Amino acid sequence: MTTETREPQGREAARPPFYRDVRVIRVVGQLVAVIVVFGIAYWLVNNLISNMNRLGISTSFDFLLGPTNTAIPYHESFDIRSPVWQMTLVGIKNTFLAAIFGVILASIVGLMVGVSRLSENWLVARLATFYVEFFRNIPPLVLIIFFGFAVFTFGPFPIFSESWELKVPGSDNSFLIINNDRWGVPGFTATGSLVLFWAILAAGVVLAAYMWRRRTKHFEQTGQPHHRVLWFTGVVLVSLVVAYIASGQPLDMSWPVISENRRRVDGGFIANWGWISVTFALGLYTASHLGEIIRGSILAVHQGQSEAANAVALSAFQRYRFVVLPQAMRIALPPTINQYLNLVKNTSLGTAVGYAEITALTKTSVGNGRPAFQSFIIVMAVYLTFSLSISLILNVVNRRLQLESR
Amino acid sequence: MKITKLLAAFVALMLILAACSSDDDAAATTEAAADDNGGDDGGTTGGKLAAVIAADKIVCGVNDGLPGFGVVDDAGVYNGFDVDFCRVVAAGVLGDADKVEYKPLTADVRFTALQSGDIDVLIRNTTWTATRDGQEGATFLFTVFFDGQGMMVPASTGFTTLEDLADANICVLSGTTTELNLAAVFGARGIPFNSVVFEDNAQLNPAYQEGQCEGWTSDASQLAAFKSAIEGEGGEEQFIMAEIISKEPLGPVVSDGDTEWAQAVEWSVMATVQAWEFGLDSGNIGSYSGDNPNILNFIGTDNFNPGLGLPTDFAVQVVTQVGNYKEIFDRHIPAIGLQLEGSPNNIWTEGGLMYVPPYR
Repeated sequence: MTTETREPQGREAARPPFYRDVRVIRVVGQLVAVIVVFGIAYWLVNNLISNMNRLGISTSFDFLLGPTNTAIPYHESFDIRSPVWQMTLVGIKNTFLAAIFGVILASIVGLMVGVSRLSENWLVARLATFYVEFFRNIPPLVLIIFFGFAVFTFGPFPIFSESWELKVPGSDNSFLIINNDRWGVPGFTATGSLVLFWAILAAGVVLAAYMWRRRTKHFEQTGQPHHRVLWFTGVVLVSLVVAYIASGQPLDMSWPVISENRRRVDGGFIANWGWISVTFALGLYTASHLGEIIRGSILAVHQGQSEAANAVALSAFQRYRFVVLPQAMRIALPPTINQYLNLVKNTSLGTAVGYAEITALTKTSVGNGRPAFQSFIIVMAVYLTFSLSISLILNVVNRRLQLESR
Repeated sequence: MKITKLLAAFVALMLILAACSSDDDAAATTEAAADDNGGDDGGTTGGKLAAVIAADKIVCGVNDGLPGFGVVDDAGVYNGFDVDFCRVVAAGVLGDADKVEYKPLTADVRFTALQSGDIDVLIRNTTWTATRDGQEGATFLFTVFFDGQGMMVPASTGFTTLEDLADANICVLSGTTTELNLAAVFGARGIPFNSVVFEDNAQLNPAYQEGQCEGWTSDASQLAAFKSAIEGEGGEEQFIMAEIISKEPLGPVVSDGDTEWAQAVEWSVMATVQAWEFGLDSGNIGSYSGDNPNILNFIGTDNFNPGLGLPTDFAVQVVTQVGNYKEIFDRHIPAIGLQLEGSPNNIWTEGGLMYVPPYR
């Protein structure tokens, strides 16, 4: 009886006091950490708001509804009386344009450089090494400024009134207009509502993706050729035609044409020098990093894989396309995500060449008396959204690509 | 049992935290109170003017890269129209024009420097606007230079009006009042244009010269400075349109809330114009032998003291050490291509806007 009552007491006594109990410390430690972090955040925000109130600085976002009052570079049709949020949208669009084309350029050049670095051809390998060492070691801001000034300001291109034009025979329209300020290529203009067009096209892309998976499954089950690229492209093209006709042909081909006073390029898709400088400088800069990532990833694929590919008589191209690169991509993807994110953030350097991206426009807007704090909160939110979207998409891809370990 | 102990520990911790933070608060409050008292005491015993006299130097915020107004040479010596007015204030308040410490400031930090008390006076081609007066805690004093936004084009284009620039690219610095004016004036007249923005003139200048834009808009004084620089380096001949599209009154600025200091600065600066009006310059003010009572008051004979907190001979110190307004103007401004005759900066008796209250 006595022993029975004592035993639990003994166990109790054997336990360390609560302040040395690992289980307690663990929970309390985390609680404290959470409280400290939130406490500091609360204190900072509270401090900021009370200070702003004390100084009579507005903490509201009403300024977004007020007029912009400044012109946006290379957006001549932008009404300066439009509300500030429309200016913000233009900035977001421009940031997106620089980021997306930069990513595409960086990926293509980076892949080429990465593979070339490992080439057995002495010249190709050395050129790729030179490329990497050159671009990797120059700060992106310097590259952007250099691009803007070396290529456009002091570059070989003529001034606006003396633009080079590659004319469509028998008309004023051009295939290509080039000067030191902007380049024009053929594009499209909307003549009606595009909602139906995009809806049908989106449905087509979904269908194409479905076909891709079906063909893949078919191949896996039967071993017959899948032709999934062919199928995918075919479905997309057909849906493009269907969408165009079904929505009442809402798009017109538009050719760039130089205005009579030779100061405007009307129609077509027009690229301004700021955008070209930012896209190329950042694309080529990021490509040097991607090249190294891809080279490292290829080297990380086991030597035996290449040897096995050689053993079954695959050509060098086939060896890369079907054996080495698919495995290398798996390794390359996580660091590549980082590089893409860097590229997106680096577009904010476009302000150096007067490119009207979100940071540049916000700086101008703040300089003209809009509240700095709220304006930059919006800028932060924009970059965060861009970066998180890229992360999200690529992380999904990454998870799909990883080897399933069983 | 476990839960209770955990809870107890947590509560204890919270209590400790709360105790700590309330201690801190109390300490902070007392400190702040002490600070306040100190500040108030300083305020009642003469404020900035007394502080400047005690320190025996004036800290002056200037531009270090604007030809004619504020430049610093290889030897580190500051020079220019605005810089001379820093010297005017030092001569007026301290009796020695050399007792100035120059602080080179960029456009975006100039008001912060003033608000935080890093500088005593800001003389840095700063335009007087309502927003700056109201929101930046700044007091704008006597306008020493009437500027206005102009438009420069290469002379070879033959353009003379803004309408000639329809659809053209126009170079402008970002985040300036110039950019707002450009959009407002062109918009109001219905002239389509494209702005090409740069962050500083070092980038804008080559872009303009290489023909990326056909017009360059900025304060007329700056355009004049760059016009002479471009032509001096053998560049293309430039033309500045006669039309001025904005008012840009430039003058010394002090922070709000110290009237005595503001008056001392303002009257020191205005003495240069008064001397000019009296026909006194650095050569003859010391040897004035006439009997005009107004002039005798001005140069401090009979120890006339209007109670501004300035020495009675401050005007003599200002004019002998730095010069009258015309001397200061002639020393810096014609060199960048702007003339006094016919400009608003001429004295009122000759049709200009330089008009100061009587010193009596």
